[in-house]
Amino acid sequence: MIERIGYLWPEIVLFIGACLTMVIGLSPNADMRKQTGLIAGVSLLIAAALGLATPAAPTWAILPGIMPFAKPLIALVGLLLLLVNIGSVDRDEEAAIAAGKPFNPLRVTGAEFYAFFLFSLMGAMLCATAGDLIWLFLALELTSLPTYVMVVLSGRGKKGFDRSQEAGVKYFFLGALGAGIFLYGFALLYGGTGTTQFVEIAQHFAAHGMNPIATVGLVLALVGVSFKIAAVPMHFYTADVYQGSSGGVAAFLAFVPKTAGMISILLLVSTVGWAAGQGSLPPAIESLLWALAVLTMTVGNVLALLQSSLKRMLAYSSIAHSGYMLVGVIAGPGDGSFVSSGIAAVLFYLLCYGVMSTGVFAVLASLERKSGGEAVEVESLDDIKGLCRSHPWLGWSMVICMLSLLGFPPILGFFGKVPLFTSALGAGHVVLVVILALNSAIAAFYYLRVVAGVMIDPESDSGVRDTGVPARVIAAVISGVLVLGLSVFGNVFMGSGEKAAEVRRFVGQSDEHDTDSVPLDEHSEAAEDEHHAVSH
Amino acid sequence: MTTLTHIIPSLVASVTGSLVQDGHADAAGEVGHAAEQVSHAVSQGITPPVDGPLWIALIPLLPILGVVLTTLCAIFKVKSKLPAFLTVGCLAASFGLTVAMYQHLSGMGPGSTVVVTAFEWFDLSWGAGEGQRFQADFAFYVDTLTCLWMLFVTGLGTLIALYASEYMAQDVGKGYSRFFMAFNLFVFSMACLVMGENLLVLFLGWEGVGLCSYLLIGYFYKKPAAVEAAKKAFIVNRIGDLGLLLGIFLTFVKFGTVSYPELWPLVEPYIQMVKSGHAGDVPLTVSLIPILLMVGAFGKSAQLPLYVWLPDAMEGPTPVSALIHAATMVTAGVYLIARMYPMFLVSEYALPIVGWIGALTALLAATIGMAQFDIKRIMAYSTVSQLGYMFCGLAVLSSTGAAFHVFTHAFFKATLFLCCGAVMHGFAGQLDLRKLSGVAFMKGWGIVGIAMLVGCLNLAGFPFTAGFFSKDMILAESFVTAGPGYGAIGWILLITAGLTAYYTFRVFFRVFVGPKAFEPGDELHEDHGDDGHGDESRPEAGATKFHPHAPGLAVNLVLGILALASIVAAGAYFVDKEDHGWVGRLVHESSANYTGSAAFLEHGDGAHRLEAGATGDGEAGAVEHGEAGAAGHGAAAAHGSFLGMDPHKAMYYVSSVVGLIGIGAAFYLHYLGRTTAARSKADDLLPALGPIPRWAQHKWYVDEFYNAVIVVPLRVLAHVFHAIDRLLVDGVVNLAGVLPRFVGSRIRPWQNGVMHGYAVGMVGGLALLIAAVVLLSM
Repeated sequence: MIERIGYLWPEIVLFIGACLTMVIGLSPNADMRKQTGLIAGVSLLIAAALGLATPAAPTWAILPGIMPFAKPLIALVGLLLLLVNIGSVDRDEEAAIAAGKPFNPLRVTGAEFYAFFLFSLMGAMLCATAGDLIWLFLALELTSLPTYVMVVLSGRGKKGFDRSQEAGVKYFFLGALGAGIFLYGFALLYGGTGTTQFVEIAQHFAAHGMNPIATVGLVLALVGVSFKIAAVPMHFYTADVYQGSSGGVAAFLAFVPKTAGMISILLLVSTVGWAAGQGSLPPAIESLLWALAVLTMTVGNVLALLQSSLKRMLAYSSIAHSGYMLVGVIAGPGDGSFVSSGIAAVLFYLLCYGVMSTGVFAVLASLERKSGGEAVEVESLDDIKGLCRSHPWLGWSMVICMLSLLGFPPILGFFGKVPLFTSALGAGHVVLVVILALNSAIAAFYYLRVVAGVMIDPESDSGVRDTGVPARVIAAVISGVLVLGLSVFGNVFMGSGEKAAEVRRFVGQSDEHDTDSVPLDEHSEAAEDEHHAVSH
Repeated sequence: MTTLTHIIPSLVASVTGSLVQDGHADAAGEVGHAAEQVSHAVSQGITPPVDGPLWIALIPLLPILGVVLTTLCAIFKVKSKLPAFLTVGCLAASFGLTVAMYQHLSGMGPGSTVVVTAFEWFDLSWGAGEGQRFQADFAFYVDTLTCLWMLFVTGLGTLIALYASEYMAQDVGKGYSRFFMAFNLFVFSMACLVMGENLLVLFLGWEGVGLCSYLLIGYFYKKPAAVEAAKKAFIVNRIGDLGLLLGIFLTFVKFGTVSYPELWPLVEPYIQMVKSGHAGDVPLTVSLIPILLMVGAFGKSAQLPLYVWLPDAMEGPTPVSALIHAATMVTAGVYLIARMYPMFLVSEYALPIVGWIGALTALLAATIGMAQFDIKRIMAYSTVSQLGYMFCGLAVLSSTGAAFHVFTHAFFKATLFLCCGAVMHGFAGQLDLRKLSGVAFMKGWGIVGIAMLVGCLNLAGFPFTAGFFSKDMILAESFVTAGPGYGAIGWILLITAGLTAYYTFRVFFRVFVGPKAFEPGDELHEDHGDDGHGDESRPEAGATKFHPHAPGLAVNLVLGILALASIVAAGAYFVDKEDHGWVGRLVHESSANYTGSAAFLEHGDGAHRLEAGATGDGEAGAVEHGEAGAAGHGAAAAHGSFLGMDPHKAMYYVSSVVGLIGIGAAFYLHYLGRTTAARSKADDLLPALGPIPRWAQHKWYVDEFYNAVIVVPLRVLAHVFHAIDRLLVDGVVNLAGVLPRFVGSRIRPWQNGVMHGYAVGMVGGLALLIAAVVLLSM
């Protein structure tokens, strides 16, 4: 166990950062309190650097290459999310303290907010480090639990706080239900295989094939984890929760739990699919994922069409994007090259989605509207009409990110989607690809509506103005620039995605299951107990 | 009248004569000799490329730096000539690197090619099978052909940017940065086009130059004519680009790659097939590739039937006309064919089509050029005509001649355009040759006059000018190489050479010499504000108060350099004599080196060098005799012949004489016969020709023809489609749009915000999924 510390340095740094913010954020000195964001940022930067240096291919990991990709990805997008979230809590309270109100540690929430922010990111990173079911469960819950609080905190002291509270409570209870489902699944998986270690589960499947208990366990686990990625039928909470959160927290919810969930799904599926030497998933799991993917993208896109609230629309769009990524999971690792590996496609798509969705939410978070004398977040498309003219930086960032979400060539989202297409085609899932393409076409409708709205001049002034937090505008512009930059230089990350998507295959040895699993090399066939064969 | 009645029958006679002769030659089936040459060329011409130094990638990158800097100038609203100097700096550095690249390549020995990979651009696969992977690097392929093109692209780009710094001075602070931004972007795109290692990079550059051409033609976007011309150029080019794109697709489908070094060995078996007389065995999909590529080349290089955009493109600022629409971009088609020369040998029909289209374009454009009055348009038509020559050069297996003509033409045509531009600039937009006279003798216009004379002599093919040598090479080869009707192509080109000399010197004698007189144009700078000569720019001042302003230092300097370069370019013919000049050496060491290799086109003995010796008079007599009765010649030599003589020897004298006749005619009609500034003896002769001059002046009504045959039916069709679209398609689309909405509205009630409703949904969905999985596993 102790040797795993070597893989945990990014998480440790985030943990230290979280503890520091929790203490410093309660300092009576306002200048000290202001340092919390900085501490969080610095710890994320260090975590990203350490994540890049994570040693690869430990024997206990079922996806040996995923850590050096996932951890810096989480930390760097986390940095972007931090910029969006700076100043989203305690603004009124801090202003009141500056105006002479006595400092009351019970009334400032910055400490908790940033600490939870870091804890959640740390949880997502721990998912990538997971080698067994218990670890994965704890990591997933560590990702989710802070977000329940963040949803509520983000609405504190603002108009519509009741909606935030409602969203937080809903999110918590439904999240608990989801956690219950996948925990039950994990338990059944243990029951069916006798081990909690992924590698051993995979060896068990390779040796003895699937058994009904493990199959049901896996189904429950996958569906339960789908809550994190907001896949149908676990998607119900999404729109309400996003709408109830501030723009920054909604951006956080769109990326962090989704990343943790996607990584968990990849780990879980690895135990039965290509890892067991078949090259493709068992039919039951494949059809489950197939149904999840098709339902998720279709329901997400169809419901997004009907929304008038931008945040709800983005919530459904986030559901749809989860569906797209599930296509990559179904496609599997292919021959290991970037264009044929669905796993690499999913990992690269997480990067694309993180940048472009954060950009969109950052634009929304940067704007506010006067309503009855109080500043409220922008809500409808009418509010942001003519943004390119009134706030060019925000407007164009919005246009770029929206086009990218749509998958408009030659912008990042397109390059993210292409490997999903190619990997699924390579694996022979033509129908799935057609459905994916049709869904992209439906999605064009609501994305382009926003693009057009932002670009045309409004008839009247919508009264929307900047929130006065430069960090959010900076985050929006950085996202826009990143989307453009990665469109050109994304191939660097494609390469690292390809490395991260490396899988282990375990060759089955029992005769009744060996018929269609071809031994990958002679050596591993000869070695009865040591049947690790790392494929490329 | 008399001339034409003589020319037409002799033309017909020579066409039939040469067809008969070709039939005879084909029947003889003398392929063995040529076949040897093919295998020699295939084995010798292509050397596997080696990796080159990365600094070569700076050649296209420096203009991109220029784009960035000039864009910054635009953002910061720089009100000085800074953008121009930044551009000149970047392009000059790029030119310097190009020279270094040439040196580098020369140092590697003949026939070397270098590939510089900037980054991996595309790498897609959709399966492990053959042809299921598409790869294209952003890489540069440097051989001698690349060097030749890049040398004059960057060199002329620098000079013309310098010229433009003065020419565009009245737009400083307004469109100045925008102009130079597009200018830089153009050079970058052209560099991609020429240096690309694969057809995809070429296509990027191809579209890039098209875009820049559009932007720069429409530079004066407040002028409706300019906007129209820009749109026309863009749309006509799209037609060609469709062909190019289809050609690239087909290349990929057929060969699985678009990279040149990988393509050459794959194409070779098909060339061998054609060579060994089994042209029928080449699959149609392969022999179609050159035809499709050719369509792209015809669009970009303004050949029939897609030439109509180029004359209109003269609405752009003159430096643009000089650089893009005369010297560089329009030669992209020639480059494409030269670069893809092996591909053009897989079809028996590809090169002859190129040749015939080129010859007909050359003739047609020359006849139109004779009847125009706008000097820039005359130059535009002459560009179209000269491009026709270049295509003929490619078709008659003289890629050297074509490239040499591209090279010399780049210099002298840029000179001519810049002279016209200087006149236009100085006389407030006046371009009508009836309203200008004796410009060269006005104060301060001497250099322009001399440069114009140099340019005209080159274009007219006056003996011992660069244009004379390059044109001769093509003319001679068209008589040497046997192919379908190639003799007729030679005659057409020869006649066109005479016409060219006439219309060129018509401009010179009308505008630059003769009595001093002028009428200013209508661009009296009233909308340009005070730019240093505001006192003479009152619109009501009229002709009496208008003083032409002579070109300044930058313009004169550039004109001087270019005129000198036009003269010096002739020297390239005398270097590396055994390879037909310096350009010939460059071409021979590149992928265009398939001269004399196409078995279906017999190229004769390959003795290309012209030997001086015989006197000119007798030959000239023979020409006149020949024009009267060319049908009489039938002495088919082993290789092509020119009236029974060796074309290589004869063409020197023949084309000199033809050129001199043209110049003489212009001299007689427009200099000696000059009555007033606006009239000359030619005007009196016009009625004798009946409606022909009027038709020619109206460009043979080609635009009107296209309008009637293509545009109007398309409009009608568009209305029909629009109606169908409204009634039928919208209905379907609305239906399709309604469906998701309907589905959405059905499932929306589930999103009712009630938490236990959601929980039931989640658990219910889970139950359904488990049930489905259990059912499936059973």
